[in-house]
Amino acid sequence: MKLLRTVAFNLFTWSLVLLIAFPLIWMVLTSLKPQTELFRIPPTWLPQSVTFEHYWRLLTETPFLIYFRNSVVLATATTLFVVTLGTVGAYSLVRFRYRGRETLALLVLFTYLLPSVVLIIPLYLAMVWLGLSNTLMSLVLAHTTFALPYALWLLRSFMEGVPEDLESAALVDGATRMGAFKDIILPQLLPGIISTALFTFILSWNEYLYALVLVNTDSVRPLTTGVMSMLISAFNIEWSLLMAASVMMSVPLIVVFAFLQSYLTRGFGAGGVKG
Amino acid sequence: MSPRRLTPAVPRRAVLGGLAAGAAVAAMPRRIVAQDKVTIRWWSPQSSPEQLAAYETQMRNFEALHENVEVVFEKTSDEGYAPQLAAAFASGEVPNVVTHLPSFAVSNYWRNGLLEPFNDVIEMIGPDKFYEGANDIYEVDPGQYAGTGIGNSAANMMWLRTDLMEERGVEAPPRTWDEMLAAMEKLQGGGIYGAPLPYGRNSMTTLIFIGFIHGAGGMVFNPDLSVAIDSPETRDALEFYKAMRQYCPPGATNYSWGDSLTAFVSGACATGIYTGRVLINVNTQNPDIADHVTCVRYPTKSADIDFWTFNDFPSVFIPKAAPNMEETKQFAAFLFDPEGYIQQLHAAPGHVLPVLQTISAMPEYQNNPIIEKYSEEVDKMAAAAANGFNLGWESREHQPNAKAGEIVNSNVISEMVQRVVLNDENADTVLSETATRIEEIMNAN
Amino acid sequence: MTAKAHTAPALERGYARLGVLLIAPVIVVFSLVIVYPLLAAIYLSLFQIYTPTLQGSFVGVDNYMDLLTRRAFWSSLWVTLVWTFGTLSLQIVCGVGVALLLHQNLWFRSLARSLVLFPYFLSTVVAVLVWRWLFNDLYGALNHGLMQIGLIDMPVDWLGSMPNAMIGIILVGAWKYFPFVVIAVLARLQTIPEHLYEAAKIDGAGPIARFWDVTLPQLRSVLTVIILLRAIWDFKEFDLIYLLTGGGPVTSTQTLALLVYQEAFALNEMGRAAAYSVGMMLVMLVFMIVYVRHSGREG
Repeated sequence: MKLLRTVAFNLFTWSLVLLIAFPLIWMVLTSLKPQTELFRIPPTWLPQSVTFEHYWRLLTETPFLIYFRNSVVLATATTLFVVTLGTVGAYSLVRFRYRGRETLALLVLFTYLLPSVVLIIPLYLAMVWLGLSNTLMSLVLAHTTFALPYALWLLRSFMEGVPEDLESAALVDGATRMGAFKDIILPQLLPGIISTALFTFILSWNEYLYALVLVNTDSVRPLTTGVMSMLISAFNIEWSLLMAASVMMSVPLIVVFAFLQSYLTRGFGAGGVKG
Repeated sequence: MSPRRLTPAVPRRAVLGGLAAGAAVAAMPRRIVAQDKVTIRWWSPQSSPEQLAAYETQMRNFEALHENVEVVFEKTSDEGYAPQLAAAFASGEVPNVVTHLPSFAVSNYWRNGLLEPFNDVIEMIGPDKFYEGANDIYEVDPGQYAGTGIGNSAANMMWLRTDLMEERGVEAPPRTWDEMLAAMEKLQGGGIYGAPLPYGRNSMTTLIFIGFIHGAGGMVFNPDLSVAIDSPETRDALEFYKAMRQYCPPGATNYSWGDSLTAFVSGACATGIYTGRVLINVNTQNPDIADHVTCVRYPTKSADIDFWTFNDFPSVFIPKAAPNMEETKQFAAFLFDPEGYIQQLHAAPGHVLPVLQTISAMPEYQNNPIIEKYSEEVDKMAAAAANGFNLGWESREHQPNAKAGEIVNSNVISEMVQRVVLNDENADTVLSETATRIEEIMNAN
Repeated sequence: MTAKAHTAPALERGYARLGVLLIAPVIVVFSLVIVYPLLAAIYLSLFQIYTPTLQGSFVGVDNYMDLLTRRAFWSSLWVTLVWTFGTLSLQIVCGVGVALLLHQNLWFRSLARSLVLFPYFLSTVVAVLVWRWLFNDLYGALNHGLMQIGLIDMPVDWLGSMPNAMIGIILVGAWKYFPFVVIAVLARLQTIPEHLYEAAKIDGAGPIARFWDVTLPQLRSVLTVIILLRAIWDFKEFDLIYLLTGGGPVTSTQTLALLVYQEAFALNEMGRAAAYSVGMMLVMLVFMIVYVRHSGREG
């Protein structure tokens, strides 16, 4: 009886999981079909002949790798920038007392409300003024507009979850504030920092609108807009290449998250995201 | 074509450096160009691999003649160019040459004082080489040209499958709407749909439907640019378009150019509506039907109403704020240099047709497998395109309409189609509301 | 602060200065990339502006009058609310449900977790492409599959007609973002003390009663935060809807973000776009204040 229940539960849950993952499975299957099989009506479920030509074409005939590198650089730089600022900022917001602190925390939440569409043109002008137009740096700064409030907010609640007495004890023992921050707070906060970093990375990796407007050259274009503009045009939608590109855009994330998955949940558990 | 060559600006350091170092280096602004070197930025939304290869030839040929000049191609897209150019104009960091945008975008920018007069370039190319009247559409203000065409297109050709017509007893291509509906009845079935007409909320639906309004003998604007859309002819066009819905694939409600083209090329639809791009796509993607495709001009309501070809007049223009104007103009003119220009046209034979009659006559142009194989179709399209119009210029009597781009982008016409065809709303109400909205756009700014 | 008793006022002032110093970089970056564009947007909203030149004439509050009197803003607001409410509730329900399942002992549990979390990591662009391909009327797997099972006879038009288009974007939105809820809820579930369940069992509570009496109250705080965060994101969502339906058919899926984009870049009315987005922000602000007040009172 118990065994039967276990089997039934597993079957049910796994079919649900597979249903959720179906679009991804379909993406992989499509990327392996030759172009001629793609437009068959009705569609074939499994590829009748498997081909890797789409992957090969992407890697050799298109700027895919350059877009890919841009996306990696962009997401990494954004993450480093935002998480560094966010950690120090959150430390200040949670553990220091000064005037305007509460207002500042509220303002952070408010900036989170701004729709990207509003900021684009003024932001673009600011980038030109700074001499940053058409560079990855301009996208890093643009991504900061939504990533920093979010990261600051997450880190603030993680920081609140770090017990205060540890820091106090270190201060009593003669440590400086920054010393205590480095030796006591940072290690405690690490799971929170990692999960914030992951979320920031995802946000930046996936952003589309700013990338569409702020950069125009292939040498700095990230994957999202690069793949779209390369493979979808008024005269053709290269579904097979698109699916192959989608698979390759996702592989690095799978690898990273396979390793860091536990941090993602542990971070939330430790900090206990609070209001 | 290697990806490296497309992106000459990538510094080697960034490629070789470790991830962190790469991040730091690549994130830095890199506008450092050798002092004496002049850079010309060229934007276009048309960037298929074959076209890119042609552009490459044009740029390298130009650089070979002008040692101090470096030409960089930057692609934009049909949905992206508006915000990108807006940002560029607003900041003053404009590209030097922009190609393949529809003519009405050019007249709009011109009216707002953003463009450099193109007269010099036309002089350099040679005004008498153009087809007669080819530049009329760009003469927004008398004597001043806002740009010129880089090509012509016949975007609403009706593509037909001769094998299916024979099999199902359709003897001749339809000439009128009634014949069209009768042909659809025969052609649809067995998993094949009749036509991939667009019913989406997008520019294709707007642009194609304007052709149907003219096919009923109506127009969107009077020659003096007062709004004329609220007419019995538009009602006829809506009625016909609605009758056609049952012969279009279910997803046609979201179709744009790419979907519509693929539906014909893949064999899912018996007819198509597109430019000559069909030819190359059929030959590469579905060679089985390549010997059975032909095209005619799209039917009109009755035989006494003349055909109306939608030509989006892919353009060339130069923003006024562009640096290095001398070299820029030389490059713009060089785009029409036969070697590169013909390669560009050959990138999709029949899709973009030459604007220079001297080019059409050249054996180098005619000498192309697709153009040879479908010479009859290519000639037909060239003739149609030479007599083509669009919303920015609906007939020879019309003044150029600088607001056409905004009207297309506002989707007001495609929304009208959707409201009547998909939502079954009352055509009279919808039409009068549409007319009001178009007037509002005309009066804005 | 426990350290307070041991520190002199001078040290306290030094700390405050250090605190300000630490937050200073954040403030500088905020001013540059958020406050300046925001003020610029508010300033622009008082003008009638041609987008490509950013030049225009002062019109005062005319744009805001437009906003109040035109149907466009209000109908888009309604669409935005329907979309936000629809997709958010699906995200929460599916997220909590799946998290509960994945919290149990499951064969290959970490593989299952990875698969479920995956849609969240995917680019919106990729997610949209995959779904458009699935939804495709001619070659799409979804129609084909449903026809094979016999649920439908003819391919369904998923994105071009109503209410399918709204259902389509809500479904894709829920699919894309529910893993975020799973992550947070799963983390919380792991911290619920086992003895609470034991006690409930002894009291004779079944699995359903245990969920309502033990699990849900424990999840409350985390759900409050998630709902707030997700609601803000969903309300602002642009990429997914723009790429999936572009706002159509007619304006049935044109949310406020899309409306702003259209005004700014299709109609070249930057001033009105700015006014609409300020309006959009105010609506969000009102909702947020009400929500925070409400959940604050209950907690």
